[in-house]
Amino acid sequence: MATVLAAQDLSKSFGDLVAVNQVSFEIAEGETFGLLGPNGAGKTTSISIVAGLLEPDNGKVDINGTTIRTRSTAGRSDIGLVPQELAIYPDLTAEENLKFFGRLYEMAGPELERRTGEVLEVIGLTDRKGDLTKEFSGGMQRRLNIGIGLLHRPRLLILDEPTVGVDPQSRNAILESVEELSGQGIAVLYTTHYMEEAERLCDRVAIIDEGVIKAEGTRRELVSLVGQKDRIHVVMTGDVAEVARIASGLDGVHETSPSDSGFDVLADEASRLLPELLACVSSAGASVSSVEVFEPNLEAVFLHLTGKALRD
Amino acid sequence: MSAATRIAGKDLKLRLRDRSAFIIGIITPLALAYIFHLVFGNVFASETLDLQIGLVDLDGTEVSRSLGEVLSEIESQGILEVTDFDDADAADTAVEDGDVGAYILLGAGLGDAAIQGSPFTIEVVGDVDAQTTTQVATSIASEFGSGIGRAQLSVATAVHLGQGPPPTDVVTWGEEAAQRPPAYIFSDISAETRQLDASTFFAAGMAVFFLLFTVQFGVLGLLEEEENGTLSRLLAAPIGRRSVVLGKALISFSLGVISMTVLIVATHFLMEAQWGPPLGVAVLVVAGVLAATSIMGLIASVGKSAEGAANLGAIVAVTLGMLGGTFFPIGQGNDVLSRLTYITPHAWFMRGLSEISGGGEWTAALPSAGALFLIAFVLGLAAWSLLQRRLSR
Repeated sequence: MATVLAAQDLSKSFGDLVAVNQVSFEIAEGETFGLLGPNGAGKTTSISIVAGLLEPDNGKVDINGTTIRTRSTAGRSDIGLVPQELAIYPDLTAEENLKFFGRLYEMAGPELERRTGEVLEVIGLTDRKGDLTKEFSGGMQRRLNIGIGLLHRPRLLILDEPTVGVDPQSRNAILESVEELSGQGIAVLYTTHYMEEAERLCDRVAIIDEGVIKAEGTRRELVSLVGQKDRIHVVMTGDVAEVARIASGLDGVHETSPSDSGFDVLADEASRLLPELLACVSSAGASVSSVEVFEPNLEAVFLHLTGKALRD
Repeated sequence: MSAATRIAGKDLKLRLRDRSAFIIGIITPLALAYIFHLVFGNVFASETLDLQIGLVDLDGTEVSRSLGEVLSEIESQGILEVTDFDDADAADTAVEDGDVGAYILLGAGLGDAAIQGSPFTIEVVGDVDAQTTTQVATSIASEFGSGIGRAQLSVATAVHLGQGPPPTDVVTWGEEAAQRPPAYIFSDISAETRQLDASTFFAAGMAVFFLLFTVQFGVLGLLEEEENGTLSRLLAAPIGRRSVVLGKALISFSLGVISMTVLIVATHFLMEAQWGPPLGVAVLVVAGVLAATSIMGLIASVGKSAEGAANLGAIVAVTLGMLGGTFFPIGQGNDVLSRLTYITPHAWFMRGLSEISGGGEWTAALPSAGALFLIAFVLGLAAWSLLQRRLSR
């Protein structure tokens, strides 16, 4: 996959406050990359630099090989920005909002008409396209906020905490929309302080705190950094000791712990191991009553790396 | 279409929808101008444009007749009207009836006294309600008397030295002195006729006073975009940062020109305001709107928030409006204050308008328009620079 965004050694200070310090990351085509960190960690400053809103004190941002500068418009057409605030005009209709921003990206005529219609369809606002957005619910406004960022078909979409203050139903709709984007080949830079969103959406995640990226990788890579394993809890009837003995010989199993009603397994990757484990129980003539899988999450990783919880 | 005009077009649509610019830019100034016109119109309705002066010549000599000739000359220029009376009683009656504002009485023996070098008296009788007319009549009489006095002094000196002409030549000298253009009198009259009538004064005053409030909808909109988050979206788009500032300045300018144009047309038909030659008014409007936009641009560049900047803008607008004489002609008062008014664009606008509304050529507005353009350029440059810096932070 071709690299769409390359951010190298970004640093930015505001007076004595170092907002971002030596931040580097890359995002490939079709990849969703998450910046996970608490409020004030440096997420918004980082994406402001990437979007060309802020000039870094050091470092540079390349998008498709074009360096992004605040005083240049080069490369801007490849970026779609969805700010954390609702960046829409309440006294314009949904369609007018889309068309206004589309025109700023040199879209016009039938192309603008067609694309506006497509985006309205994607965000589910076709029926309300003629209504002033101040009459919309918070979720609808959020969807329009994202739609504006998508309108000009950017190669990189930057989403800055797009689900903050959104009801669960709209939040789910937004997350589904973002999931579809990677299928369209769009590189997505997603900032959030919600661990669940990062785990669900992001192919790779950078954990950022106090302006510094503490760790970066897939969820599994990050989890392995802190040495935590997946745990599978099996409740069964039959010869528990025998089944546990067989399971301990499976590839990727680190430890088995039998009990009266079943056993626990610590493994590298529970989802890969599970079919083999169930086959093992079956081959021993036992039957499974229930199975629970516990995977270590990014919350634990964050706690391990920073010594504090994500919502602190 | 450039990004700046697209931004301005969007803002214009928003302002038309929320009607705020319409209310501040047109309805309020029009209503206030009309109310002020109704309440204070009579205060401004002075006799300055209707100078009726009487002349009573009881002397009948060449010396006294020369004053009549001087007055006829001024009358021919349309500055005043002269009525001759046979005696003081008839002139008194005319003053009491309001037919003339004042009259000049040249008593019998004036010519002889002038020739002989003796003291003489010229009386001016005026209506207490026609102060300006009385002052003008007094100035004319005083200048005429001074001319004769200077001639008497010259003759007396020459005679004393044994080189002078015969005393009878003083008649010619007196006539020459009297016919010499009394420069300060003309200047004084000219100043009075330049004063705006009540309708025009209040229409122009309110229009230019509310102009600052109207143009703030454009440039201060930049701070609203900052607070609403839409500014980051504009700055992330492939358009220059100057396009964003230019778009805001453009909408300020457009709203200002639209507001002023509507007010000029409306007050002309509703209040019979006399704005003067359209070209001169247009130049003043363009210059005034640019100056107002620059002032508000400067406020936007230092404002911490849209609300704070709007409050600061209101304070500045009211202060400059009061100082600039949009509510009352403050420039006619004390000298320091009079000079201070010209730091405001309002004063220059009103001054430019007073130059052309009384029948002057449109070019008479150019000096005031030049001052307005200068204010616009200096403050605009500062605002542009500060706003660019603000957007680059």
